[in-house]
Amino acid sequence: MSYKLPMGPYHPGLEEPYKLEMICDGETVCDAKLHIGFNFRGIEHLAETRNYVQLIALMERVCGICSFIHTLTLCQALEKLTGLEPPPRALYIRVIMAELERLHSHVLWAGIAAKLMGFKTMFMACFAYREKVMDMLQGISGNRVNYSMNRIGGVNRDIVDPTAVLNMVSDLESEIARDLVPVFTTSSTARSRCAGIGLLTREKAVSCGVVGPTARASGVPQDLRRSAPYAAYSEMQFDVPVQTEGDVRARLLVRAHELLQSCRILRQALSRLPSGDYNCGEPKLTFATGMAVSRVEAPRGEVFYSVSWKQNARNPTRVHVRTPTYVNMPAVRWMVQGARVADAPLIQASIDPCYSCTDR
Amino acid sequence: MAATDSLNETLARGDIAADMSGIQWITAGDPDPRELTQYLQQRGARFITITAYELPPGQGFSLEYLWDLNGQLLGFTVHVEAGTVSSVFDICEAADWIEREIHEEFAIEFAGRIYEPLLLREGDRPGVNLHEVAP
Repeated sequence: MSYKLPMGPYHPGLEEPYKLEMICDGETVCDAKLHIGFNFRGIEHLAETRNYVQLIALMERVCGICSFIHTLTLCQALEKLTGLEPPPRALYIRVIMAELERLHSHVLWAGIAAKLMGFKTMFMACFAYREKVMDMLQGISGNRVNYSMNRIGGVNRDIVDPTAVLNMVSDLESEIARDLVPVFTTSSTARSRCAGIGLLTREKAVSCGVVGPTARASGVPQDLRRSAPYAAYSEMQFDVPVQTEGDVRARLLVRAHELLQSCRILRQALSRLPSGDYNCGEPKLTFATGMAVSRVEAPRGEVFYSVSWKQNARNPTRVHVRTPTYVNMPAVRWMVQGARVADAPLIQASIDPCYSCTDR
Repeated sequence: MAATDSLNETLARGDIAADMSGIQWITAGDPDPRELTQYLQQRGARFITITAYELPPGQGFSLEYLWDLNGQLLGFTVHVEAGTVSSVFDICEAADWIEREIHEEFAIEFAGRIYEPLLLREGDRPGVNLHEVAP
């Protein structure tokens, strides 16, 4: 006899509010429905009441982990509307911040995944790595969550000592390569808890339009840093890790390898940081009438912004934000079908869901 | 197939315009979102999102459908005058949540589909979030 089992909106396995309503037969999940919106904040509406300075501060708060990515995407759209082009040093600093944020996000996710696997030692180790990344972000920006780095036409703060950051990145890369990546790629605990569960086939991944590591773990090799490069990514050498298995372990492996690729990008960007200005100063901004869009490859996948403005207007007429979790989350329904109830928390966590982004 | 063939002819005539963001806009007359969705999917494009705009009073809404084809943004615009537009959910699964969100934010009806609440709590009405005047 089938029965309904709600997981969330408040549940020990979920740190943020959303609800997975599972229809189970014994210990097997037959189907599931997802409910979001428990913390819906109406940020798109709020954005229409803000000027461009307030708008950047507002959109930084869409997400507590990808706060830099959101302002980067927004500022790239605003730069198209104003015609301002950031100087090369600003583009490199944007790459450095974006990759540090990816490191921070992936290590945080790895810690949570380790906790859900029952691998508490790794959970503590991951949060120790995360502290080091956050120290770097704080050293550059002065902040640990909302960095206030992006502005229209560049960034607000310079990286005054790239060699010091480079040394920290090299140390961290060694530690991650020595300790973290092998645990996730070779340990029997990770394999037994993750292999073969939460399957998302390539066909279903394409059909659902999933993005980021969730897509790449199902054999869809999409990455905007490669297919539609922004900032200074066209000057960086890196690989896009892809797995074809489509299970939780594949998502784990993709992110583990992406940690090393992020370090590789950081080493290039920090060692080749161009000299010169890091923003365009304080020019009088004139917004063109029209709509501009911008996309960035966030740690969880593609972030999309569409911004509309009317010339001489104080506020935008429309700001639309499409976050990666918003497209990845519906796929959880297919991932949990046929899974054991006990695996559901780990499966839903394997897309690295951001409820803050989803309930923007 | 006739619809797709005619679209191919339209696109071959060069009815595509690029904007400041580099989006290639398909500007074929009065576009049918279902025909264009099928066409773009057949070409391997990935659905990204729909951006809804409320036009001045009495003029309805504008919906911008955006797609990615190997890094290139493609889009088409559909004007919604009577508050109803054909759903593409049955042929494009990725459009499910964004159609539901637009329905709740602007009270636009996507014909041919049923909705489950996405953002709204019990007792709320569609249109309370972003519609200028809640219906």
